[in-house]
Amino acid sequence: MEHWLVPPLKVAIEAGTPLLLASLGELYTERSGVLNLGIEGMMLMGALSGFIVALITGNPWLGLLSAMIVGGLMGALHAFVCISLHANQVISGLALSMLGVGLSGFIGKRFVGIPLKATFGVSPIPLLNKIPILGSILFEHNVIVYISYILAIILWLILHRTKMGIMIKAVGENPAAADAAGVDVYKVRYVCTIFGGVMAGAAGAYLSLAHIPMWVENMTAGRGWIAVAIVVFATWDPLRALLGSYLFGGVEALQYWLQPWGIDPSLLGTLPYIATILVLVIIGSSKRLRRAMSAPSALCKPYIREEKVV
Amino acid sequence: MTKSGGIIIKYTALTVILLIITAVATWTLAPGKERIVKVPVLKGEPVAKLAESALALSKRLGIEFDIPKTPEGDINATQLLLNLIPLIDKASEIIPPKIKAAFIYVGPIGDYGWTHGHDTGRRIVDEKFPWLETVYAESVSEADCYRYIERFIKQGCNLIFTTSFGFMDPTLKAAKEYPNIIFFHCSGYKRWKNMGTYFAEFYQLYYLNGLMAGALTKTGKVGYVGAHPIPEVVRHINAFALGVKEVNPDAKVYVRWIFAWYDPVKAKEAAEALIAEGVDVIAFTEDSPTIVGVCQDYFKKGRPVYTFSHYSPMYKYGPDVVVSGQLVHWEKIYEDIVIKVYLGVYNKTNLENVDYWWMLREGAVELGAEYGMPINPKFEPILKEKYVEDPILGKISVYDLVMIRLKQMSEEVPTFDPFTGPIYDQEGKLRAKPGERLGHYALWTMDWFVDNIVGTIPKPGG
Repeated sequence: MEHWLVPPLKVAIEAGTPLLLASLGELYTERSGVLNLGIEGMMLMGALSGFIVALITGNPWLGLLSAMIVGGLMGALHAFVCISLHANQVISGLALSMLGVGLSGFIGKRFVGIPLKATFGVSPIPLLNKIPILGSILFEHNVIVYISYILAIILWLILHRTKMGIMIKAVGENPAAADAAGVDVYKVRYVCTIFGGVMAGAAGAYLSLAHIPMWVENMTAGRGWIAVAIVVFATWDPLRALLGSYLFGGVEALQYWLQPWGIDPSLLGTLPYIATILVLVIIGSSKRLRRAMSAPSALCKPYIREEKVV
Repeated sequence: MTKSGGIIIKYTALTVILLIITAVATWTLAPGKERIVKVPVLKGEPVAKLAESALALSKRLGIEFDIPKTPEGDINATQLLLNLIPLIDKASEIIPPKIKAAFIYVGPIGDYGWTHGHDTGRRIVDEKFPWLETVYAESVSEADCYRYIERFIKQGCNLIFTTSFGFMDPTLKAAKEYPNIIFFHCSGYKRWKNMGTYFAEFYQLYYLNGLMAGALTKTGKVGYVGAHPIPEVVRHINAFALGVKEVNPDAKVYVRWIFAWYDPVKAKEAAEALIAEGVDVIAFTEDSPTIVGVCQDYFKKGRPVYTFSHYSPMYKYGPDVVVSGQLVHWEKIYEDIVIKVYLGVYNKTNLENVDYWWMLREGAVELGAEYGMPINPKFEPILKEKYVEDPILGKISVYDLVMIRLKQMSEEVPTFDPFTGPIYDQEGKLRAKPGERLGHYALWTMDWFVDNIVGTIPKPGG
């Protein structure tokens, strides 16, 4: 018999993975100075396209790939509007969210109620899953969960240990200075925004190909917004995003464990947002923390390159 | 190249794209180009035939009719057409008016649950009756309901169906405002002289599912994932629990609420929580096949958890785990309503007491994992091997018990009802005396749980 801790923690990871994927992408986007509020819509479009392609080809990997492409394309659209056209990032992001919700609902109508055979099933990692307790919590999931572990670590390393990471952070903090230092601000922002879209698409595909293998309208149910909150909660750090995702995923999943004790689920549902606000308050209250952990200074500010006088 | 050169190119490209879009839009949206049409001279055989048909019709309608001739003796086609007008008017008076029915849905028609069920009903009656035309609006919020009703009336609809409890007051308001339109509201209790109500009720089927669940559970723990803690769902959980109790008096029914009609992810999480607690049969009220998928996954993992179809046939999502279920046939109700409106049985003055509360007897609901499959054949042997002692029927297999109860509840005057006393609630209070059948009001306002249920009914605001 498994330890009593195993099922709830396992579920927390399962429910946290789409949040993790989406928030890792959003984190990079915001680090480069672009706010993307279109995550919800990108996740939905990813979920739908992943589902359709997996249904037609019978291959979940192709589904995942197409979800990433669709997410990336939407990210590219956001990038074009915000970076090249200097449009308001909030408005563009909200528009993309609404577009994604509406369009996926419209296109997806014909795909509702079709069972999907090609899914990412549970594939335990041999040996590792024999570790007592931790083994079954961490290593009895589908492949995307394992990929997300590795991605979180790699993305942390890139951000904090490589030149590329410094470039991204510089662009998000002070694009003019980065530009002067020879960094192509537009290129970095484009890449990060498209990457954010790709990750959101993958998060959507996780929902429709692994978590609940089917297409249902609006199946993300607000996860895109929680992902945006997680980025703030994690103070723009990939490993803290990992923690935040499992925490928020766990809060959501565990309400049914706690229900018999009379704990109100709608109250639990507000916890991620309350936690995020608390983090903001804590950061705001200390100068030292503010310097180390606050939002990228150039977030939401379009960068318009000054003309060089030759 | 200088930087400004790049910007010029960019904006030129943008302008060109915008121009192309504008041009395409103008071209496709513009009204049709004027064409010079040559009017053919009307003569010859077609005209003669038209004259003949008109003459025949005039005889049937009993109107005098002459075929107009030109001085040359040909048929005067123009005059012939003009003479047709009184014929057509008279004919359209005699032919019954068409019904144009509007359906206003609260959810998307693709939800595979509530709205999907209503829309399936709509499509069936739409195809069946040539005199019926239907239109619908999906994902309508309560606040928008009234405006949609007005819009449909402007479009010429004379029969309006609103299919959500929350549409009750807007529908009533519209019924008072538009006394010549006929309204039907699903799942509410307010009626008016031109507004009736209807509902397809499931509790008999939940009871039958409960019988099977009680026979199938090995752990003695049966689960139920509930949508909202309202009387309708409470009634269904109680009916289910009564079924479980009849076959397996020691088994308990564990309830989890998800506070949503449609939320696949919450449904999955609630089901997982129940399974972690040791539940091995789950019934649910949630409008997607998610829980069936969860159970099928557990079956594959070697830990079978059984479940039931809800609203739509979900057998294909879990052929190894779907035992039976409750399916809806809204078309039975819609058919009855539109025919009676068409024939004038229902009109704008006599709907105040028209309330459909249709169940097995009327065929509005069906027991089944799939249409036409009351019990998944895979489970027949197990259910036939499990015996119970019934005070009237004696020693009987669960399979036979289900079939007999199904027959009893489908009779013209149902000879069995699950809510027959003695029924005790969780506090041990006697809710139905031995032999007493709970009435419509008690079922409609139910806010207590039967004694073998573990869980609470959250009170609003608490």
